[in-house]
Formats: sequence, structure tokens, C-alpha cells
Amino acid sequence: MSEPLNEKPNAEPLPAAASAGVILNGRYLPPPEDKDGKIWVRTSALIHADAEDLYRMWRDVEAAPLWQEQIERVTRTGDMTSHWVMRSGAKDKGNDKTIEWDSEVLKDEPGRRIAWQSIGGESDNAGEVVFEPSPGGRGTMVTVLQEFRMGKLTSAWETMVGRNPKQAVIENLRHFKALAETGEIPRTQGQPHGPRGMIAGIKKSMYGEETTTPPGLNRKAS
Amino acid sequence: MKALCWMGSSKVEVHNVSDPTILNPQDAIVKITRTAICGSDLHLYDGFIPTMEEGDILGHEFMGIVEETGKSVTNLQRGDRVVVPFTIACGNCEFCKKKTWSACDNTNPNAHLMEAAYGYSGSGLFGYSHMMGGYAGGQAQYVRVPFANVGPLKIESDLPDEKVLFLSDIFPTGYMAAENAQIQENDTVAVWGCGPVGQFAIASAFMFGAARVIAIDRLPERLELARSIGAITVDYSEEDVSVLTALKDLTGGIGPDSCIDAVGLEAHSAQLQGIYDKVKTALMLETDRPSVLRQAIQSVRKGGTVSIPGVYGGLLDKVPFGAAFGKGITMKMGQTNMHSYMKPLLERIEKGQIDPSYIISHRITLEEAPEMYKVWRDKKQNVTKIVIDPWAA
Repeated sequence: MSEPLNEKPNAEPLPAAASAGVILNGRYLPPPEDKDGKIWVRTSALIHADAEDLYRMWRDVEAAPLWQEQIERVTRTGDMTSHWVMRSGAKDKGNDKTIEWDSEVLKDEPGRRIAWQSIGGESDNAGEVVFEPSPGGRGTMVTVLQEFRMGKLTSAWETMVGRNPKQAVIENLRHFKALAETGEIPRTQGQPHGPRGMIAGIKKSMYGEETTTPPGLNRKAS
Repeated sequence: MKALCWMGSSKVEVHNVSDPTILNPQDAIVKITRTAICGSDLHLYDGFIPTMEEGDILGHEFMGIVEETGKSVTNLQRGDRVVVPFTIACGNCEFCKKKTWSACDNTNPNAHLMEAAYGYSGSGLFGYSHMMGGYAGGQAQYVRVPFANVGPLKIESDLPDEKVLFLSDIFPTGYMAAENAQIQENDTVAVWGCGPVGQFAIASAFMFGAARVIAIDRLPERLELARSIGAITVDYSEEDVSVLTALKDLTGGIGPDSCIDAVGLEAHSAQLQGIYDKVKTALMLETDRPSVLRQAIQSVRKGGTVSIPGVYGGLLDKVPFGAAFGKGITMKMGQTNMHSYMKPLLERIEKGQIDPSYIISHRITLEEAPEMYKVWRDKKQNVTKIVIDPWAA
């Protein structure tokens, strides 16, 4: 099982428990609690794919817009650094506002672990993903630990997509899993429907019919 | 195209909507030749299922001709005749690999809604609320079928649509109910609800070797159908009939080896508990009316099995769990793992072992569907099953 991450995503050292790993010395580690303006989310998925392939898919930062919600583009700026552009509003509402930040990889262990943090720009975030063989070899357990500081990134999620940033991390891992296992991300945007009344028109923002699903272009077919 | 849309509780309408298009690489567009109204559509009609919205296209039992395929669809071609299962499965996740297709992890775009309500998400379904995926349904002229490599069953023989249409849901659902009932040779099986799923559960119970099947309902047309395939019937609405006593009388006092609840959350009951549940659901203190489930648990023999194909949606009240524990019963339930049953059941139809079209009572146009939802819900005109030709004028 993974060791705690010693690098510090932000200004202060991480507590020992603040690793994406969920087990330390045989004991279950609960996820870190939110405090002092920091929001933590830990989520995991059992994915039927090889850990090396999943690592490569995650590490290919320029492909992140295929499966991460609201990410417009990512540019590699060095071996360990990249520049991120995120839409801060729904695209179909003529809102082309974006927020941008730079990110740096702190730990890069092929097939096992990636840790990163923002290094300037309009988002203060840090995270780690761990790829571990599941007990009994039923695929790979992928665990993500993400930390945000309240700011433009979190409010972009909350106000424009109606999604709590914690939920966004959960949804992104769900998209990652679907893409890795099936080559596509399930979607309903663009399907037909009858006339929406006023209430249904408002409520549909809760549903995938409105919230933009990342394209998840079929890697296997391309 | 024309499509039947849910417009509110007890309100469905035919509207002209845009044609579906390919949205993902494994999608197919199917031109629908026959579709049916399912008993579970009546739960939607009655407003029992949350996250239905005005304008949602209904329908999860349908078949047709492949019109167009996405670039990653490899096993279907334009012109293929297919029956489409009502659950959508990816074929690659942990659950599909275990052949529990209805628990697929990757087909519900609104999984978070279901997780918020239930703590888990099952597979996406056609035309059955946003929580269950929000996919447009098939009571329409065309439908988009996601993960078309995995779901649709090709029909290569010239069997008419009506003989194979029910492979889309109710025949596999009735069959899995009988399989879940763990029937042994010469068992006695009781089936509550002689609607379409109950009918196929009865027929399937005999296939598994049941010596006697007891069918319980109150509608004469359904009881007659059940007798026509060999069941002994109990009309619970008759004066002096107690289902629990009847089941004892018909089993030498021990109770049926297996009980199948093919009714689910909107059970009717003439007894005091029926009124109790009606009041509690009206006051939103209870979401379901589980009077059949209570009877099934009370009447099944010691060590017997209760199988539940009937749909439940939420929290149940006054379920006799003490009796369930005391008798050491097994309970099996859940959405149908369609993809495991369609092919073997098609073979049974091709061999002439069963003709599922015997349950059809009404053949209608799409325009007639709104009225027929009401007729069936109100249990009028002796409806047993309604099939729609979406192209008929």
C-alpha cells in the first residue's frame, strides 16, 4: 500500500494521514477533514484496466480535457509542468470566461502514483492519484486525493455548473473509469425530448442532459 | 419523429420531437417497428418514480431495424433486426464481467443522482427517469441505443415481431424471477400478480420443474390467462378468500417452496393493511405499499425462497422480518440481468417451447397510447398487454 505523501501541496506540511492511500500499517485511514479554507476530497474507483495504462492515461495531461469536466485545454510547459485553462461558465450560454493556472508534478512513479500542485495562477490546488492492484487482482484500485483552497476554481464549479467541487472530483474519476473501461463516457446531451415546462426547464440543469459531459473521444477507435 | 412524452403525473402526450442522433462511438440508431407499454410504466404514469421531468420520452420495451451505427459498433449493421434490452450495459466493468449486467458501473450519466438517493447507482435504463440515466425511451419512431455492441439481440429468423418483442424486458424478467426462486423439481410455487411478468414467471416456473404453480390476482382476464398455461388460480378479491389460508390449503399446510412477488410497490390490498399503506404513502411516511411482500414472507415454507421481480422504490414499513429470520428464508431480487437471458430465451421461442405473444390483448397506434395508459392504469377493457406500432396511422 502507498506511503503517505511527504511533499507539501501548499504552504504547510501534510499530516501523515493526508495521502491518497487508504491503508497505513494495516489500518484504515479516514480522509482528511476540511478546515482553514481547505477542502479535501478522496474518492476511489475499481477499474478493469492495467495500472500502467491508467497511469499513462492520467499522466498525459494534454488529454485531460477528454475526461475532466470544464477543462478547456492543457499545455505541457516542461517535463513536470503544465498550463491549465478551465471554462468558468457553461459553454452553450455564450459564456467564454476562463480561469488559468500552472501545475507541477511533485512525484511521478510510473504505474503507481502521481502527485501534483498548482504553482501560480487562479487556482490553489494539490492532488495525488494512486494506482494499486485490487485485492485478488480484480483490476486496479484508483484512489484520488484532491485538495482545494476556496477561490475562483471552486466558485467556478459551484456557480456555473451547479456542482460542488468535491462532486466534480468524483465525477472526473467516474469519467476516467468509463473512458478507460469502455472507450467512451456515457452521455445524453443532444438527445430528443418533448417540450420542457418551466419547472423541468430549471431542474434539467441537475441532469446530464444539460451539464456538459467531457467528450471522452474513443481512444481505442482513434 | 413522433414520441410519447411524460408530461406530469397521469399525463402523457404524443409530441413531434427531433430525431435521435449518434452521440457516442458505440451508439446505434434503431427505427422502431414495435414497442410496448410495461406495467412498470404505470409506476411512472402514477408519479411514483422521482426525477421524471416534463418532456421525457417513455418506453423501455422495443425492437426494430438498425438505421445507423457509430464508428465503434462492430457487430451490428444497418438493416439488422434487433430486440433491445431495457437495461444498458457496458460489458467491461466489474459487474458486467460478473454478468450482473443491470448493475453496470458505466452507463448511467446521472449516477450521482442515484447515489444521492440510494447510496449506489445501477445501470442506465431507457425511458425511466433521470436518476436511472435519463435516456430517451422507445415509445417513439426512433431511438438511440448506447453501447450497441453489448445489448441488442439480432433476430435472424423470420419470427414475427410480436413473438420476440418481449425479450426486451418482461420475458427475461419473469424467467429470472423463476430462476431467483431456486425452484427444484416438483416444487410448489406461488406467484402474486398475473400481469405480463407474472405470466412469464408462471411459464418459467414450469420450465424449472415446478409441479404446481398457484397464481394470485383479482382480474378475471389475467387469472384466465394464468389457468390457460396450467396454474391454479386464487382470486384474492373474492369474499371469504384469504391468500394465506389458500396457500396453506394448497400445500398441505407447509406453504409454497417459493413465492414470487410480481407486483411490487403499488400493491392493492383489500385488508386493513392496504388502507394503512395508502394513508402512509399519501402522507409521505412510506414510499411503497408492500402488502404482497408481507404475504410472500408470511406464507413461504420454512427455508423457502422469496423472489421479487416487482419494482420497489424506497422505504418499506411493517415487513415481517421476524418471520423471515425465524423460517430461515432466502430472498432474491433486483433488476433483470437481461443480457444473460435474451439469447437462451430466443432459442426457446425458436424451438416453439413458448409463444410470448399470448399475453397481448391490445394492438394500438402511438396516438392511441395516452388513452390506453389511462385505460390500463384503471384496469378497464380487460387489458393484459398493449403493443404499439409507432408507424401506424
